[in-house]
Amino acid sequence: MFDRHVNTQLASYLDGELPAPERQRIERHLSSCETCRIECDQVRTGLSMVHALPLASAPAAIWNAIEAATHQTHSQPAWFRYRIPALAAVLTVAIAAILYLTLGHRHQSNWDVVGLQGSTAVDSKPIRGTSTVKPGEWIETASSSSARVQIGAIGVVEVGPATRLRVTAIRPSEHRLALARGEIHAKIIAPPKLFFVDTPSATAEDLGCEYSLKTDEDGLGLLHVTLGWVSFQWKGLESLVPAGASCRTRPHTGPGVPYFDDAPEELIQALGTLAATNYAGSSLDVVLRDARVRDTLTLWHLLPRTESPDRQRIYERIAALSPVPTDVSRERALQLDPDTLARWREALAWTW
Amino acid sequence: MWRFLIVNVLTLMLAGAEGFTFVLASPVASQQFQFKSATFVFRAEGCDSTAPQITATAEGIVKGERKSVELKVASGPKPGIYAVFQNWPPEGQWLVNLKGACGNMTAGAIVPIGPKGFIRESSKILPRPATDNEIETTLRTQGGKK
Repeated sequence: MFDRHVNTQLASYLDGELPAPERQRIERHLSSCETCRIECDQVRTGLSMVHALPLASAPAAIWNAIEAATHQTHSQPAWFRYRIPALAAVLTVAIAAILYLTLGHRHQSNWDVVGLQGSTAVDSKPIRGTSTVKPGEWIETASSSSARVQIGAIGVVEVGPATRLRVTAIRPSEHRLALARGEIHAKIIAPPKLFFVDTPSATAEDLGCEYSLKTDEDGLGLLHVTLGWVSFQWKGLESLVPAGASCRTRPHTGPGVPYFDDAPEELIQALGTLAATNYAGSSLDVVLRDARVRDTLTLWHLLPRTESPDRQRIYERIAALSPVPTDVSRERALQLDPDTLARWREALAWTW
Repeated sequence: MWRFLIVNVLTLMLAGAEGFTFVLASPVASQQFQFKSATFVFRAEGCDSTAPQITATAEGIVKGERKSVELKVASGPKPGIYAVFQNWPPEGQWLVNLKGACGNMTAGAIVPIGPKGFIRESSKILPRPATDNEIETTLRTQGGKK
């Protein structure tokens, strides 16, 4: 339950320098630790700024001074021997601080909105052509209207008809919208965990993806992913939805179990019944009977939502459809050990 | 003597069967956002000691004309996982021919491409590079199915 924080390893993680087990541990930790996630975003932003810095040659005088300093005898006091490196360090920090402040202030505090057809309003004011929207403001489209929102440099959101959408955060580490009703299509090109959409019954967290999301005002909604992954969350419950799959969300219960769009119709209907009956009842028989190999996506998500003996039946069905990896123990899987389930999901994903 | 040879050959065949091979999957399997728009991803198995040499070409027939396009095999932060991105025209019938070498071991795969991406069910994993005949046959079969 409690996992040590990973803030000291974030730079190595983002640079891809860590071995696979450590990287997986960090990813698991980040998925559940808001503090480390925020820090990760900040480090990512910092690294991207550093990578964007132009290379410049140091003046010859500096190198001469460094060489001269290295030839000094050790009889000099320590502060004197290290004065050049210390000066360089101070200068580096000062330059970084100046860059951070100037670039930070240059960070966009609003997004462009373009009305595509019909009438679109930003904060109840009709827009013509291109306008801007800032945190706290609403975008509303009429019943036959649509609009496009440029999410800074990380992506684009198409806003469908009869949609009410609020911008809630524009920060380097967090780009957040609240979808009160209607439909959006998001295409994000940034690394994962920078773009979020809240609906009345779930939050869609971008894991590097393209997706459509619709909801009514009560929170009855549907997520459909076309590229990458989306984490669909509500009060600690999470559904991981890959490309080609959809996931319904309901008021008070949050995201349901994801299913592939080409799954058997009876399986999809049975999932709806299961969600309405708190994942108990005879509909599970239909799901287990009709599941194909790639429907282990659905079965894997059913594990934490069910109790024994249903959970054991689900385990056995997954095992029958796809060999269980040697590092996934039956006992631990049935105990819902997070590491075991994550390893199993990663292995199963090769069949999805 | 003959018994010894047969045992050796069988052992080598068995080793080959469990040796260097490709496992194909949809881009979501890689869990790497850089690969999300790939046509497919694959991992190389059974090549622990050496970095495998992997090449890919797209082989196609467009309006009756035979085409061949060299592809770049992309590798991401996770070792041993690769991606193939579409670099061939959208029209016509296409497949991707994967070739791999790991020391003395070889591997190959024929990956037919359909309108919705790679066709997992029709893909062939081979213990060696595909022959020209196998590629032509697969392309003709794809064309016939269309």
